Amino acid sequence: MSFLHVKLGLKVEKETVSLTSNEEEYYMSNGISRRTFLMGAAAAGVAIAAGTYFSWNGKNIPEEVKKGDVTYDVLVIGSGGAGMRAALAAAENKGLKVAVMTKLQPTRSASTMAQGGMNGVTKVTDKEDSVESHMFDTIKGGDYLCDQDAVEYFAENAGKNIYEMDYMGFPYNRQKDGCFHQRKMGGHAHARASYFEDRAGHAMVHTLFEQCLNHGIDFISECIMLEISMNGDNLNGVIAMDMRSGNILGIPAKTIIIATGGYGRAYWVRTSNPYSSTGDGIVAGMNVGIPFKDPEMVQFHPTGLSANGVLLSESSRAEGAILVNKNGERFMAKYAPEKKELATRDIVARAIATEIEEGRGIGEGIRAGVYMDFRPIPPERIRERLGQVWELSKRFAGVDITKEPVPISPTCHYSMGGLEMADFHTGASRVKGIYVAGECSCVSVHGANRLGANSLSEVLVFGHTAGDGAAAFAKSNNYAGSQDKLAEDCSRWKDTFEEVTNRRRTVGKTVPEIRDAMVNTMWFKAGVFRDEQHLTEASKELEALEKEYSHCYVGDNSHVFNTAFYQYIELGNLLQISHAIVQGALARKESRGGHSRRDYPKRDDKNFLKHTLIFKDKKTGKYRAEYKDVVITKYQPKERKY
Amino acid sequence: MDMNLKIHRFVEGKKWVQDYKLTVKTGMTVLEALTEVKEKQDPTLSFTCSCRSSICGACAVRVNGNAELSCEVLVETLMKRYKTDTLVIEPLGNFKVIRDLVVDWDPKYATIKKIKPVIEPKKEFSLETGCKQSPEEFNKFKKYAKCILCGSCVSECNKSALNQEDFLSPFVFVKAERLVADSRNRSPQEQLKAIVEAGLWRCFNCQECTAKCPKGLDPAGAIEKLKESTFAHKLDDNVGARHAKAIYDDISDSGTLDESKLNIKSEGLIMAALRAPMAVRLMRTGKMNPMNGHPVNPEIETIRKIVKNAEAASKEAE
Ligand SMILES: Cc1cc2nc3c(=O)[nH]c(=O)nc-3n(C[C@H](O)[C@H](O)[C@H](O)COP(=O)(O)OP(=O)(O)OC[C@H]3O[C@@H](n4cnc5c(N)ncnc54)[C@H](O)[C@@H]3O)c2cc1C
Ligand code: SF4
Ligand code: SF4
Ligand code: FES
Repeated sequence: MSFLHVKLGLKVEKETVSLTSNEEEYYMSNGISRRTFLMGAAAAGVAIAAGTYFSWNGKNIPEEVKKGDVTYDVLVIGSGGAGMRAALAAAENKGLKVAVMTKLQPTRSASTMAQGGMNGVTKVTDKEDSVESHMFDTIKGGDYLCDQDAVEYFAENAGKNIYEMDYMGFPYNRQKDGCFHQRKMGGHAHARASYFEDRAGHAMVHTLFEQCLNHGIDFISECIMLEISMNGDNLNGVIAMDMRSGNILGIPAKTIIIATGGYGRAYWVRTSNPYSSTGDGIVAGMNVGIPFKDPEMVQFHPTGLSANGVLLSESSRAEGAILVNKNGERFMAKYAPEKKELATRDIVARAIATEIEEGRGIGEGIRAGVYMDFRPIPPERIRERLGQVWELSKRFAGVDITKEPVPISPTCHYSMGGLEMADFHTGASRVKGIYVAGECSCVSVHGANRLGANSLSEVLVFGHTAGDGAAAFAKSNNYAGSQDKLAEDCSRWKDTFEEVTNRRRTVGKTVPEIRDAMVNTMWFKAGVFRDEQHLTEASKELEALEKEYSHCYVGDNSHVFNTAFYQYIELGNLLQISHAIVQGALARKESRGGHSRRDYPKRDDKNFLKHTLIFKDKKTGKYRAEYKDVVITKYQPKERKY
Repeated sequence: MDMNLKIHRFVEGKKWVQDYKLTVKTGMTVLEALTEVKEKQDPTLSFTCSCRSSICGACAVRVNGNAELSCEVLVETLMKRYKTDTLVIEPLGNFKVIRDLVVDWDPKYATIKKIKPVIEPKKEFSLETGCKQSPEEFNKFKKYAKCILCGSCVSECNKSALNQEDFLSPFVFVKAERLVADSRNRSPQEQLKAIVEAGLWRCFNCQECTAKCPKGLDPAGAIEKLKESTFAHKLDDNVGARHAKAIYDDISDSGTLDESKLNIKSEGLIMAALRAPMAVRLMRTGKMNPMNGHPVNPEIETIRKIVKNAEAASKEAE
């Protein structure tokens, strides 16, 4: 290993924490400033040690990465279902170096939280099911904003992925003939969601993780991607921070797959998403020229616990739970006479929001809601199939759902928008070498509204596809990035870290203060219902918040597991995401799927049967909207009725 | 209602206990309390969390000496349980601490690898057509598929506290049982062999893991099931298994331990370690007192030592 001392023109400050004597000796005898040096070896990797605390001994990062001795063929960012499925696919190509980076530990993601199941046409439970039917349901559910060729590819492949997971050991609930059992989710004409109780995502993640461990795939854990490093049109790799040492890493890669999940945390407490769904990958992608497609398409799940936004699975309604207002009226019949509670999420969420607004809800403000009543379901079945729902209601709302109804209200649940996938046969974005998969991407399969259990299958189908696509690219292309640029980007982040974390308390608002203000703006002005006036206000408020963000107080300057800095980075991303949501929502003067404008309550196919593409200008940082036609193949847009 | 949090801090080599005061809100979980401290009082406090709905395993910490999922357990419940308005929060036990409440999982993941954590599907199954399994077969392992890798079980494991090098964390046994009991698996023998080698018979059977698992998964039960499986799969010709059986029969038949049966050398160690805590428990209930028996076994001194260690370990855990 060779150490290259790179003069970055930084002052060497007095150390307060002592190093081990070995380290001390080494750096002294080599005349290297401990605060700023670059480790770079024969390969292209770069690491800037943070300085005060040289704790490189964590096994969260492979040795090769620390030494800068590796150029990855495929570097996956994100260890949700999409990331790990992609890594497994890529690693089938012997000889390719594949790694998965995650800002948490590998099994902790939104994927882990998915409850209901994953769709795929297999006909094991419902013989009448067909790929056409899955396709049609998805397109209709998505309010015709789906690209139909992509949906066809998706529906054709979803079933295959379900069988593959069976072979990998997914613990499917079974039916008498020994096949996995499938259940029917909202908006679907047939039973096609396979599941493990109400922990489908957890089971998927652990199955994939075990497979990754068994295949010896590298994990780069507790490492947060800060940006994608480019040299002109060529990909250098990824700049990331090792949480444990605070060291900034420049990891060279021929291809990267962005699989960083959604951006539901723009609504912070009123979301079912984990803390980590902050749209990091989307912002990183936008910064290198990939457009953010349909950002305004955010799904509000109808049944979050009123208490705290935590999701009660869609399978609740699939199994027979009903929705009741303050007056004891089962109101869904008014909004969706045929499907009632099983209508799509957007319709049910708006029905609940309307009930609340018109005074038939219970509770007030951000916690107002209606009742979900499980008593039509036999208690044994609740225990057998809705164990998690029972647990969550009991704990957070203090309600035993076998005996009493539980208060629920809409909660931001899913990000239909995301980085544009330019080619759904390979997962490629429009930037060479960068692939996208999962919730952070927009294929677009879900259009304006995702159907239940379609996301886990999307994650599998396109994770698989992107893994194959990136591997194929890596095999036929040489690394064309620049080590110098990678090093430059590293040192810039190092400076940022020092500047930001050493700000004094007097500089401005704290990160949580700005975040809470952002949430108020987003929930009340760009939430379930939207209109011109509120969106315009939201846009202004966000701009003001960005100004405050530029001099906010972080309050922790340690290099070791600095979660305050991490949250600072996430907030910066959420603010940009929020801007894009508002920008997209303002421009889309119609109501479609998850996007509901009070001032334009109708869908307008003449003007808006098209995707929003938000670009971020590299120089000015300003956002610009373009449009792209929706691909229509088999199904002409019709009014949606359930 | 006010409460005090005493949080064990550890930052860049410095260790201290820090006090924070909070107002308890109804339905406030320990995680919410920690979050409030971080957001309103002290941004340097570090901990991990992700789902806040007890499914990702990120948030386990020790509260008043016991592992808990912080996003699951209500502050109020704990204050009532311990009859106090002061909660002491520490990182999980038997983990290396990185900072504050953040612990190092990597060594644990490394041990998962030891058991080859995947099924080898039977020949009649394929990637294209999946597998078949009856609902009854599914029921046999489904419970063990629910582990969330939170580490609560390891935190209080007595065997892990003594030595983790020759043992697997309790949740790895849970995973193992999930794989071994899965009828799709063609070669559970392979896993069983690895598990025996990695320390199956070294478990003290102290039940701490089972008491602490927030998902009610009963790791100690999984360990017993795995032991049974080693017999079913004819992997019982290892010393641990053979002697375990002999002594287990002995104790369950007569309620006493005939020391003359401990006529083994190194294997005696395994055995003693295996059953010692049970012996301790039996002694306490007055059923037997092997210490006063007639030592016909030359290994008995070593065994006594181990019984003492086990006793000390179980006291420490109380
Ligand atoms: C409560 C809940 C229930 C759901 N139920 C269902 C269901 O029943 N059926 C269904 O189909 N879908 C469901 N969904 C949706 C589904 O779980 C997600 O859409 C899907 O799992 C997304 O997977 P992903 O792999 O794209 O991203 P995620 O699972 O979100 O993974 C993102 C990964 O990226 C990592 N990451 C993020 N930023 C960075 C960074 N800067 N640096 C490094 N790593 C980073 C994260 O740590 C994480 O590992 C549910 C979602 C939630 C929240
Ligand atoms: S029963 Fe065994 S695995 Fe469980 S805590 Fe005790 S020694 Fe550890
Ligand atoms: S067995 Fe239980 S306590 Fe142990 S890691 Fe799994 S869920 Fe947590
Ligand atoms: S935060 Fe996920 S289990 Fe508690």
